Amino acid sequence: MVEFFINDQPVQAEDNQTVMQAARAHGFFIPYFCWHPQLSVPGNCRICMVEVTNEGQAAGSGWLDIACNMPITRGMRVLTDSERVRARRKETLQFITLNHPVDCGICDKAGECTLQDYHYEYNGSPSISRDAKVHATKHFPLSERIVLDNERCIMCTRCVRFTREVSRSDALGVVNRGDHSLIRPVEDGRFEQDAYSDNVIDICPVGALLSTRFLHKARVWYLEPTASVCPGCERGCTVNIWHRKNEWKLKALDAKQNARIDRVTPLENAAVNGPWICNKGRDLAQIFERARADQCLLKGRPVDLQTAIASARALIAAARRPVALVSNWGSNEELAAYRQALGERFTSFVKTDWQPVSGEPLEDDLLIRPDKNPNTAAARALFPPLPADVGSAFPADTDLVLVWGEGFSFAQLPPRARIIYLNSWLQPENGHADVFLPISVMTERRGHYTNFEGTVSAFEPCFASAPGVAHAQDLFAALVTRAVAVST
Amino acid sequence: MTGRKLIMTFPVTETSHLLADYQARGGYQTLAKALREMRPEEITKEVVASGILGHGGAAFPAGRKWGVIKLNDEQPHFLCANADEGEPGTFKDRWILENAPHLLLESMLIAAYALQVRNAFVYIRGEFDLPYRRLAAAVEEAYAAGYFGERILGTDFACDIVIYRGAGSYVCGEASALITSIEGRKGYPRNRPPRLTVRGLYQRPTVINNVETLANVTAIVARGGEAFKTVGTAKSPGTQLVSISGHVQRPGVYEVEYGYPLAKFIYEDCGGVLGGGKLKCIVPGGISTKVLTAAEIETVTYDHVSLTAAGSGVGSGGMVVIAEGTCMVRLLQILLRFYHHESCGQCTPCREGMGWMHRIIDRIVAGEGRMDDIDQLVRISKANDGTTICGMGDAAGYATLGIIAKYRDEFEYYIEYKRSRLDGRLEVPQAEFAHG
Repeated sequence: MVEFFINDQPVQAEDNQTVMQAARAHGFFIPYFCWHPQLSVPGNCRICMVEVTNEGQAAGSGWLDIACNMPITRGMRVLTDSERVRARRKETLQFITLNHPVDCGICDKAGECTLQDYHYEYNGSPSISRDAKVHATKHFPLSERIVLDNERCIMCTRCVRFTREVSRSDALGVVNRGDHSLIRPVEDGRFEQDAYSDNVIDICPVGALLSTRFLHKARVWYLEPTASVCPGCERGCTVNIWHRKNEWKLKALDAKQNARIDRVTPLENAAVNGPWICNKGRDLAQIFERARADQCLLKGRPVDLQTAIASARALIAAARRPVALVSNWGSNEELAAYRQALGERFTSFVKTDWQPVSGEPLEDDLLIRPDKNPNTAAARALFPPLPADVGSAFPADTDLVLVWGEGFSFAQLPPRARIIYLNSWLQPENGHADVFLPISVMTERRGHYTNFEGTVSAFEPCFASAPGVAHAQDLFAALVTRAVAVST
Repeated sequence: MTGRKLIMTFPVTETSHLLADYQARGGYQTLAKALREMRPEEITKEVVASGILGHGGAAFPAGRKWGVIKLNDEQPHFLCANADEGEPGTFKDRWILENAPHLLLESMLIAAYALQVRNAFVYIRGEFDLPYRRLAAAVEEAYAAGYFGERILGTDFACDIVIYRGAGSYVCGEASALITSIEGRKGYPRNRPPRLTVRGLYQRPTVINNVETLANVTAIVARGGEAFKTVGTAKSPGTQLVSISGHVQRPGVYEVEYGYPLAKFIYEDCGGVLGGGKLKCIVPGGISTKVLTAAEIETVTYDHVSLTAAGSGVGSGGMVVIAEGTCMVRLLQILLRFYHHESCGQCTPCREGMGWMHRIIDRIVAGEGRMDDIDQLVRISKANDGTTICGMGDAAGYATLGIIAKYRDEFEYYIEYKRSRLDGRLEVPQAEFAHG
């Protein structure tokens, strides 16, 4: 431990910490663009300059240097907001904005842009240059997912270091010199292969790196994040799902617009995913915006929910040997509710709802796991997995099968068995079940997932369910056929 | 004559750069003495005692740099000769590489022995052709004669050398950018700490010295540090190779003993201004040092103390003589074009500031300047001072501030009348040249 002073307050710093790290750990704010807690220190933006006086030196005789690369010595005095520091920050911001187009009006980053924030905080004056700005490529496709606006780029090189140090694709580099420097892919197609490429959009401190999916889709101040868990694999990365704020709901357009997942960003979580997620997590909309089932069916005939539940109860009551296939997309709460309500009545197996898609990265040493389902660990802690030989799960006299969740073909079931099917998606099988009950998806309810390491993460509802869609948890309670105390 | 000499001690002939001639002049005997009679720390002690200052521009004491290297610390050390001589006006290292490559190699071997270096490097400027060929030939000769490789001169000392050719970037002459370039990456300078003598090339302790600094090591070890100190002045021991160019009668490389009168050097040894013109000012040590007017140099002696007191510096020894009648606005335009072109673009103040200053001076020269542009140039120069990763931001600022401080009236005239008071001339008029 080393003691030193920030703004005249004593601070205990760890050995080998820099001033930036110690200041952050103790709640002192020093602005930064290029520095990132998970990346190496390039010290190139020069905005984090602080005033330093060594022990024994007279006050005011200090020098200015960057906090992100400054080792701490005992008794040193650091000023983060002195007159000289503010003047230097203002000069640095004048340099940074010199060739920045300030096209905030059409920039997706506006509203959450570090440069905007710092400009209002530390500069605030109009440009003092009379010369034309340096022009550069305005729309350079780095990959199918990401476009680069070289004019907005402030050359912090976070994206370059991310591909070198975190995703290890080495896909990006800097070409040219001076104010003609440009971020460019090192070779064609390599960034396309980077399964974590979209993280550079988040770590870009300005609007230089933009998602093609989100490009000009929404202003961020109309959106709000909801904490959630990525169901893309058993890692269970915590994410923010961004959707329109309730007060900015669109009234004139299709209601579906209001239930749109605008974008997905990582929710920093040191226990699971750090500040990163993979590209599959960015594309949760592809999973959740498939056509939804919202109509109960009896052998394909639409009925109301009460009729469907009554039919299912009758089937369960009459069954002699019922078997159930449990979804590993069910939350911990749903799995517990299922076990409490139906666990004794049914012989239960955990089925695998999602198989890896061809071309999808199976596993790597950063985040991606081979099991592409979110809650396999919790489900298998309660019930055995469905055997590889599916037929062996169904005794010859199986007369009822409850299938919960997608990804299972009815052709594998004993031909005489009746089927109760709980699913969220509009699929042809729905009509083949004896009773079909549409259920909500995770973006419409609250719950928890347990990842492969046993870490439990919570997700919150983003949207309301469509009318006619029930939560699986409630359905299980309603399907209980033995006497239990049900609270009304 | 420009005082005593340590490096240019022999007449340059067709063969004076070859091994045979070098050996005939007593070459590689100092290496033999060092390897057989001295321990590594004794050599470093002599270099510290000599008080030699770096000749690359920053004038950092070489002995202090060497002293940081811990011997026997169970890790490889590296030595690199900085032959990326890119400072405009400077071509003194070229003389050593072309005419005394073996002096550099012998000195590097002694340094390698003193610093326990197994692998030494020479980072040579990409544009250098003859110097590269001469140095490469000298390395071949030295290997053939057993001065490099295993068991040098029958001792346990082993050393190999690699010549690494740069690609012509000014910034790669900065020590940390130089090693980044050797490592095969884009030549970006690195932040200190850590210093390169702690974590340099391939993350190992590395000593990087200018070619001329290293070339002096042989003389230091041969004479002894204290004896070396008797040359030059107390605070600036030794000599400086000065490459003088511009409007001067006899341009070239001169070895000047520190303490030699500057005016005498220019007016007598170099023959004064080209064509017998009047001196306007000089750039004393590469364009990154501040200009000194004709009046200012009258009392100055050529050493670190005197030049620093005059508000400039020895720098890299690249002296440019500027005759009366030269347009300083045009001159600054050329300097700023250079800095803009060579800014590596890594850190903000230099990346944006160099281009900004270049655009402003271009605008002034095009007749579209405004009076407050001069203050803007001063402001940008000051904002670059001490804020950048390497010294380039400061260097461009010094050059600009020096010229504007002393020739502000020319800038004001140019902006007011939209033309140069001196016809925008950079050359000495032909007529004067003819009868010079």
